[in-house]
Amino acid sequence: MVQRSHDGAGPPGAARGQALLSRRRLLQGGLAGAGALALGGLLGGCGPAAGPGGSTVRYWSLFNGGDGALMERMLAEIAEQAPHLRVEPTVLAWGAPYYTKLAMASVGGRAPETGIMHLSRLAGYAPGGLLDPFDLGLLAEFGVGAEHFLPELWGRASHDGRHYAIPLDTHPLIVFYDTGTADRAGLLTSEGALRAFESPEDFVEASRELAEASGDNGVAFGHVNDDAQGWRVFFSLYSQTGAAMELPAGGPAVFDPDAALRVFTLLAEVFDGETSSNRLDYQTALAGFSSGRSGLLFCGEWELPYLRDAVPDLGVAPFPTLFEQPASYADSHSFVLPRQSDPDPERVRAAHEFVALMVRASLTWAEAGHVPAYQPVVESAAYRGLGPQTDYAASAENPALEPAAWFAGAGSDFQSDMGSVVQTALMGAGPEAAVDQLDRALSNWVARTNPTEESA
Amino acid sequence: MAVDTATRPAPPGPAPRARAQRGETARRQRSLVLGPGPVPRILGMAALIAMAAIWLLPMVWAAATSLKTEQDAVALPLSWIPETGFTLEQYRAMFAEGDVQLWMFNSLVIAVAVTALTVVVSAPAAYAFSRTAFRGRRTLFVLTIAAIMVPPQLMIVPLFEQMAALNLVDTYAAVILPQLVMPVIVFILKRFFDNIPRELEEAARMDGATNWRILVSVVLPLSRPILAATSIFVFITAWNNYLWPFVVITDPALMTLPVGIPNVLDSYGTVNAMQMAQSVIAAAPMVIVFMLFQRQIVRSVATTGLGGQ
Amino acid sequence: MSAPTVTRGQDTAPRSRGEQVASAPLLQRLAGSPWSFLLPFLLVYGAFLLWPLLRGFWLSFTDTALNGSGGAFVGLANYAEALGDPMMWNALGNTAFFTVISTVPLVLIALAMALLVHSGLPGQWLWRLSFFLPFLLPVATVALVWKFLYNQDFGLINQFIGFFGGEGVGWLSDTGVAMWSIALTTVWWTVGFNFLLYLAALQSIPDHLYEAAAIDGAGAWARLRSITLPQLRGTTVVVCVLQLLASLKVFDQIYLMTMGGPQDSTRSLLLYVYDVGFTGYRFGYSAAVSYLFLAIVVVISIVQLRLAARRRA
Repeated sequence: MVQRSHDGAGPPGAARGQALLSRRRLLQGGLAGAGALALGGLLGGCGPAAGPGGSTVRYWSLFNGGDGALMERMLAEIAEQAPHLRVEPTVLAWGAPYYTKLAMASVGGRAPETGIMHLSRLAGYAPGGLLDPFDLGLLAEFGVGAEHFLPELWGRASHDGRHYAIPLDTHPLIVFYDTGTADRAGLLTSEGALRAFESPEDFVEASRELAEASGDNGVAFGHVNDDAQGWRVFFSLYSQTGAAMELPAGGPAVFDPDAALRVFTLLAEVFDGETSSNRLDYQTALAGFSSGRSGLLFCGEWELPYLRDAVPDLGVAPFPTLFEQPASYADSHSFVLPRQSDPDPERVRAAHEFVALMVRASLTWAEAGHVPAYQPVVESAAYRGLGPQTDYAASAENPALEPAAWFAGAGSDFQSDMGSVVQTALMGAGPEAAVDQLDRALSNWVARTNPTEESA
Repeated sequence: MAVDTATRPAPPGPAPRARAQRGETARRQRSLVLGPGPVPRILGMAALIAMAAIWLLPMVWAAATSLKTEQDAVALPLSWIPETGFTLEQYRAMFAEGDVQLWMFNSLVIAVAVTALTVVVSAPAAYAFSRTAFRGRRTLFVLTIAAIMVPPQLMIVPLFEQMAALNLVDTYAAVILPQLVMPVIVFILKRFFDNIPRELEEAARMDGATNWRILVSVVLPLSRPILAATSIFVFITAWNNYLWPFVVITDPALMTLPVGIPNVLDSYGTVNAMQMAQSVIAAAPMVIVFMLFQRQIVRSVATTGLGGQ
Repeated sequence: MSAPTVTRGQDTAPRSRGEQVASAPLLQRLAGSPWSFLLPFLLVYGAFLLWPLLRGFWLSFTDTALNGSGGAFVGLANYAEALGDPMMWNALGNTAFFTVISTVPLVLIALAMALLVHSGLPGQWLWRLSFFLPFLLPVATVALVWKFLYNQDFGLINQFIGFFGGEGVGWLSDTGVAMWSIALTTVWWTVGFNFLLYLAALQSIPDHLYEAAAIDGAGAWARLRSITLPQLRGTTVVVCVLQLLASLKVFDQIYLMTMGGPQDSTRSLLLYVYDVGFTGYRFGYSAAVSYLFLAIVVVISIVQLRLAARRRA
């Protein structure tokens, strides 16, 4: 499949969400029923499913794998709490396909009432009028307001004084390791946690030992054909050097080529193709780690639910600090309201209620590994009692946030361009060439104008 | 009869023939093409078996995988028969979700509508080009033929813009309408009509029948083979069309089978055995239709594929 | 162009038959005229081919965006940008490369298949099924199945190579290999179409040609060279034209299997048009790239038609 999936082998057949499309349900009997339906389908077929009730909320997300399973549970909880909301969830392929579809749906006029968007993408959507702002008064009715979020995060969700996104979580890049392998490689502290690394060389050395201990691959990093992983790892390490990156519209781009070279050189040394493979894709990296063929995995915390089941001796830790200061790439899933050409107040209200309920239910979401954005949940005793999540909670304190730019963000072409820079460093012409490519790509991006911003 | 010649290039000659007679033809052909000795025959057979095996393998492997559990699907070393036995679990889960049935229904509605409307739109035009005289006929016909060169894929941007302006994005109509412009079908039908002897129409014309009447009651009935061939061809094209439905449909409830399956995910992720089950189900209708109507489909492709030559 | 206006020109059309009365109401006159037969086709032709074609041409001179903003006339800026855009050239190069490496086997393998099947060996039904069936599969199936087969880790192909002690190949992850993998999948998927065209052509070669040759004592190989292949020349030209145009338009399987990766090594021109227009929101620029592409397609079509005509002459 196209999409960078989150999952190698999730467990299908678990309880399905109950909020299925009404037409879907009609067809559940199999195609035998389709004949009888044909007439009705043809008559009603020239428009979107016009639900009889006004409180239908079509909800798009890009969660699958462990995330998807938890999302289904949250939806089931909401269905119990608010039976008057008819939620029709759809999961689309992660990344560019999702965001392309979301924008096209907004333009097409029949967008879903609500959807998930990475906060890093907001700068590309809000100015172009592809989103409708939230009605904060309405949201307050359902018990959610600015006071419930960290001010910094809340601030990132607005544009031109309007509020376009309600954050659900923060999700940092972390590492997973196999405690058995890490132990054999001598990388565990006396408490059984992954030890700190003193220098890039120290980590390279550790990756060799991990390769020996696992008998196959040292560190797994699935970046090939992936539209995000390369950038996430690069930007984490780049931020660790303390160097800045700014991408102002119109340019010039600000970045530190020496810092970038240090990062690429380190990556090329670790992923030398001998001790740690330099050509894994996301799925293969995940599958290799989960089956014990790799000792350590660079990945997002969203794989926690899957790996917890698949790897008996799973260890999790913040992304290791290899340069001067701790930092790890982080983004936020948030709810947005795609633009409706003909908004139905009833549905808008329902969408607000749905979003508020979901944010308040984010304790369940935290089980996916994400750090909830809704502070009352974070402060709850129940959250503090959650297992391995606390092992990497520190990551959230040092988030490396993507430079705000209309072209940047999760699953953007910008990120996949950056991924291809990383591929150059690891599989192509090498670190120096990668720095040149990075330079060219950044200048190229800042030189472009945002096509959706009203110019005339 | 001249009518027959337009469909004649199609294999394998006049319809039902006795088994023995077919065997005789094959034998004769064999000796004509391969010569008398057994060696070329054995080599040819070996080559055919090898190629057919390679061509069938991916489908068989997909089908076998769809009957495994997720664990068995990626268990190494791979095996055709899973350790824990075959299971219908993937199909059960898929049908419980309900999406696939819905997409299949959408595909069917869209492909049937495209096929029927394309014929309705193209046949009269072909008749006009073949049988009537009017100023500008040549120019118009050249324009029609020239349009065969324009790949519709290149117009996705203006077409999407047009559909958005008409407020048709996310409707069946938006998927169907642009697919109705099939100049090549007009061309094929015109060539066929050209070969229908005019005398057959004269009698009707004597009785005062109008052009429309002649088209409907004389020409079209005589054109059944070519109409069937073009319809099958249009149907296959519409059923498997990917790019345009993918562009103009964003609502998963209105997606077609080829668009929905790879783009809308199960919450549980891209799961291998499940994907193979979806692939098998997506392929099944055409596979069954092909097994039932192999002769007709083969003929349709052979006649329409070369622009009716 | 005149197509939209011709529908209004019905009253100037000469009446070929005397059945219309000049004073009859317009509607009635229209009903019998040739234009009534053409009207439905001209409507869809005008609305969904001519209009988008012209509209796209106009868009290519503007900075219109997906959300309708922009729209200002920018002259040839988009074309100038496209000609200096390394991504466009990369996509064009990839498209040309794919066209070559897919067209050649798609013609040759189809011919080989048709020759073998035409020899009349038993099992006709099975051969036609095996070779043509993939063509009927939706691209979703083709892409999913082949991605599974190509998987570096647990894919059937690498496991097979590994069984003989070989090193697994990054079928879709190695920049030097990915386009070949796409082409291989494409050959598997669509060769059946060309195979049927060749088979039909073979079956229309009159038997007496072979019989005469057999009497002259020509062997199987000589008959293939002196009768079969020359008789197939016309078909080959058409198959090549169709195949070339089909390969140039490649999108579906690439989008679903690699999305243009790794490192843009499989990004075809049509994929680039989609990316720029819908993912990048730039309708105007995307239209300009489309028009450059259209120009190439038209030139190739005309050259081929010329060549075909000369060969026939």
